[in-house]
Amino acid sequence: MNPLRKKNQSRTDNVEENVIFFFWNNKKYFANKGDSIAAGLLANNQHVIGRSFKYHRPRGIMSAGVEEAGALVTIGNGAYTEANVRATTTELTQGLSVYSQNAWPSVKFDIGSILNVFGKFFAAGFYYKMFMGIPPFEWGRGTKIWMFFEHFIRKAAGLGQSSRLPDPDCYEHMHTHTDVLVIGTGPAGLQAAISAAEEGKDVLIVEQDYAIGGSYLSQPDTVELETQIEVLKKLRVTILTRTTAFGLYDDKTVGLVQVMPAKEYKTSSKKPRQQFNICRAEKIILATGAIERSYAFINNDLPGIMSVSSARTYLNRFNLLLSKNIVISTNNDSAYETAIELENAGATITILDAREQIGNKLLQQIAGLRINLYLGSGVVKAEKGLNTSSIGKINLVEFANNKWRYAGNLSCDCLLISAGWSPVIHLASHQGYPINWNEENACFLSSGDNKSIFLIGSARGIWTKAGCIQSAKEIFQYNSRKKHKPSTVIGGWETPLAPLYEICLHNIKGKAFVDPQHDVTSSDIRLAYQEGFISVEHMKRYTTLGMATDQGKMGNIIGLALMAEALNCSISEVGVTRFRPPYTSISLGALAGRNRQSHFKPIRRTPFNNFSIQNKGVMINAGLWHRPWYYPMESESLEAAYIREATVTRRSLGICDVSSLGKIIIQGPDSTEFINRVYTNPFAKLPVGKARYGIMLRDDGLVFDDGTTWRLSENCYLMTTTTDNAFSVMARLEELLQVRWPDLSVQVTSVTDQWGGCALAGPNSRNLLTKIIDDPNEISNESLPFMGIKQVLIQNVPCYVARISFSGELAYEVYIPSDYAQSMMEFIWENGQKFECCLYGLEALGTMRIEKGHLTNAEIDGRVTIQDIGLSKMASSNKDYIGKVLKNREKLTDSDRPQLVGIFPKDKNKTFKAGALLNEAGYSNGHPLGWVTSVTFSPALGHWIALGFITGGLAYVKDKNIVLSDELRSNFLDVEIVSPQMYDPEGLRLHG
Amino acid sequence: MIQIECPFCGKRDQSEFSYGREGQITFPALNADENSWYDAVFLRKNTYGRQIETWQHTHGCRSWLLVERDTVTHKIFSVKLAHTDWQEQIKKTT
Ligand SMILES: [Zn+2]
Repeated sequence: MNPLRKKNQSRTDNVEENVIFFFWNNKKYFANKGDSIAAGLLANNQHVIGRSFKYHRPRGIMSAGVEEAGALVTIGNGAYTEANVRATTTELTQGLSVYSQNAWPSVKFDIGSILNVFGKFFAAGFYYKMFMGIPPFEWGRGTKIWMFFEHFIRKAAGLGQSSRLPDPDCYEHMHTHTDVLVIGTGPAGLQAAISAAEEGKDVLIVEQDYAIGGSYLSQPDTVELETQIEVLKKLRVTILTRTTAFGLYDDKTVGLVQVMPAKEYKTSSKKPRQQFNICRAEKIILATGAIERSYAFINNDLPGIMSVSSARTYLNRFNLLLSKNIVISTNNDSAYETAIELENAGATITILDAREQIGNKLLQQIAGLRINLYLGSGVVKAEKGLNTSSIGKINLVEFANNKWRYAGNLSCDCLLISAGWSPVIHLASHQGYPINWNEENACFLSSGDNKSIFLIGSARGIWTKAGCIQSAKEIFQYNSRKKHKPSTVIGGWETPLAPLYEICLHNIKGKAFVDPQHDVTSSDIRLAYQEGFISVEHMKRYTTLGMATDQGKMGNIIGLALMAEALNCSISEVGVTRFRPPYTSISLGALAGRNRQSHFKPIRRTPFNNFSIQNKGVMINAGLWHRPWYYPMESESLEAAYIREATVTRRSLGICDVSSLGKIIIQGPDSTEFINRVYTNPFAKLPVGKARYGIMLRDDGLVFDDGTTWRLSENCYLMTTTTDNAFSVMARLEELLQVRWPDLSVQVTSVTDQWGGCALAGPNSRNLLTKIIDDPNEISNESLPFMGIKQVLIQNVPCYVARISFSGELAYEVYIPSDYAQSMMEFIWENGQKFECCLYGLEALGTMRIEKGHLTNAEIDGRVTIQDIGLSKMASSNKDYIGKVLKNREKLTDSDRPQLVGIFPKDKNKTFKAGALLNEAGYSNGHPLGWVTSVTFSPALGHWIALGFITGGLAYVKDKNIVLSDELRSNFLDVEIVSPQMYDPEGLRLHG
Repeated sequence: MIQIECPFCGKRDQSEFSYGREGQITFPALNADENSWYDAVFLRKNTYGRQIETWQHTHGCRSWLLVERDTVTHKIFSVKLAHTDWQEQIKKTT
């Protein structure tokens, strides 16, 4: 076929300033402004656009819309490369690079097409049977052989390749609210938008194409379209083109994505390439149109075979007459309008109509034109022409005695197919609105909910333009409070269509495609039937029908029809798989928007952040927090730094940022009662000015969190939580107070960000505090004993000092209002210089707490009981608290549960890592006795130590030889199980 | 994405809220027997259809809410503050 560009007519005039150039496989071509890539390629006589997914068959342009299954291309270069772009819906821009896909070394000669010759081996389920070892083909023993072959198969099968470079484009997210959202700008959509706007509604209308108009654009003249657009603009309707409504979600939410054309994003990188838009509307009107179907016959995928409606689009929108000699194979009235327009443009038309009769009106319309009509006629096979990959000849059949029989052949370089229309009901299906098979029009129909989700136009199965417009008006004529009952009649053709899904004769062999994009053939469907995959869901997965990027927009119904035929039942009995979003593929970049790299999640910085950075602190991510990890001196390594920091702290003095701990103020007359119910240990008699360490359980009796709670006054407490659980403890307390115990008069407020927390640890900590505090008497051993708290003035700023210790040394935590944190820390650090003093980070903090057997979420991991962590003494028996009852469940009280222990290597020079398993010597296989949770080098003890859990705890393994095994790192060593309080077990150092 | 009408803040996206649990659970007294605690903590109705559930307006006013929702259609029938006194007071003021 040799398409002709008509001269000097309407929209895309061939005038010089309207000519643009582009590159097709690196060769320069010219096209008209406004052309789609497909139109540009057709105008330049390029018919083989790519190779098919599995068999590498040459594929051309099959349609002019989103349903395109053949003409998938790659556009752009380098980092801007975009693969699997539909040539039919993408605008050609000046200088755009377009490449064919899945072909090596070229589209014209492709090595992979050898697969086509061995095609029968590649039938449905072939990969599974052959390589994954399903009996009786179990020669490869399952996955190993599959993994071997997979590499080669993946190389041969597939679509375009994306760039491996970071995406340079910018993507934006936005939210839109509107009264009425109309999807589609065909005759029905435009009318709906106008009618809604005339009622005073705020209206947004979206169009996936780069031009407004839908099927208007395929009509010979655009006067009507231009009039409607004028009205829309006057009514101030918002119009978004290039915008696909890809999914309908709960509560009338529609996902929209707007994709800007290639040119704009290259010249200005600041403009977003794609806009991801979450739109909420009171009314959603789906004027999404219908997609013309093909039917299965042999070689129905040859380039040069296209849908009837696309020929109309190329003719009227792009001024391209596909051929001087056109054959149309149809089963319905819609093809005739196109036939007449093509004839008017100068072509000779042969119509093969599957029906044995058509109406008089149609007959009158074509009378006297160069249109040859054959009734009861169709195509059984297409063949390649000489010296071309495209169609050159067709084998005809005629309908006689209720079956098809061969009727000779016809030379043909352009074959147009129309085997009925499938309304685009995808969005209604996303929300699960019922879908019913309409026998007369051979299509699935949905009507939304007729309250806020409406389908109009051909999306509702209305085939006439007048009917479509009427269906749009109806929605707004009706009283909006009552349920809308559509009155427009479905269908609208003079003669009903004759169902046509496949034409085959037993003596003519070859591949007839049902889903050309995934290379699923009619025999694959029959094979699925033979092998028992008869449910639609099974058939889909076995054959991969409809699982390519077009999601079976053209092929699904043919597949269902063939299965219905095999099962000898109706299509409605076979059923349909529910459509899932997105309607057309969306890029990951659009989904991510700006939430990438450092913007992927928010960063929480402590009030001492700048101080830490000024003092060369290396930061580490701990959840959302950035916390100081260690403070290297010169080129010190992490290990050298934390050993030095812990050593200096235990010898003299260390200062550490502990601001990320959760801090919750609990106030009200019932706060004591509340805290007493939340913690396992008694708090009722905690005096004002004292803090107490507490454990809280979940309802199921397992340990939830730990921390200290300070009694600031009679009815006011400050609770601290672990950094990890700060958020969940807060939500939990709120739930208890609002849902479970509304009778308690208590208020809780998170003050985590209001206070900077700074730990002063080591024998010199009190000496430092004495130097900085306004009244040093306040912190003498007598006035601030262990676990005492006090509000004090430092530099005249009210701060809290608590004598608590995570490191096991004499230590204080100083809480400073966040706004003063930086200057106060500088002041403390300056005074610290009077002693041997260091800043220490998370790593040294961890080292010292492991030495002391103190816990973090490495140990309290949601699976341990209070006994498991050796704190059963803290579980009061004199009061009731959350988790008290269920912590006593049978298996939770067993003495052979894994319990917290300390671990020393027997050879003190050995090192090991967390995650290693503990076994009894000689029993290193199978279920281990225990595991290692936290490991560090202990500067205080001079060797590596760890915390972990072991069955039965210290008592059970006392006389056993325990082996630590880290299979992944091939590290095996004998260990000694010790008490978790590995350093200063008597706690003498706490008191200075 | 569903929207929840918070009695304090108005209609907000689901992403501002966190699901709590089935709302018809009544937790027994802290000293109740093991069986009643077992039932409350582990036995779920897993309703197909209308149920009351708790949600927290986590990224809003932090109220815990009783939301009556259809688990099949996601339609929401009513939203109340879980705290009974607060719900009474807000009814009076609106
Ligand atoms: Zn709220």
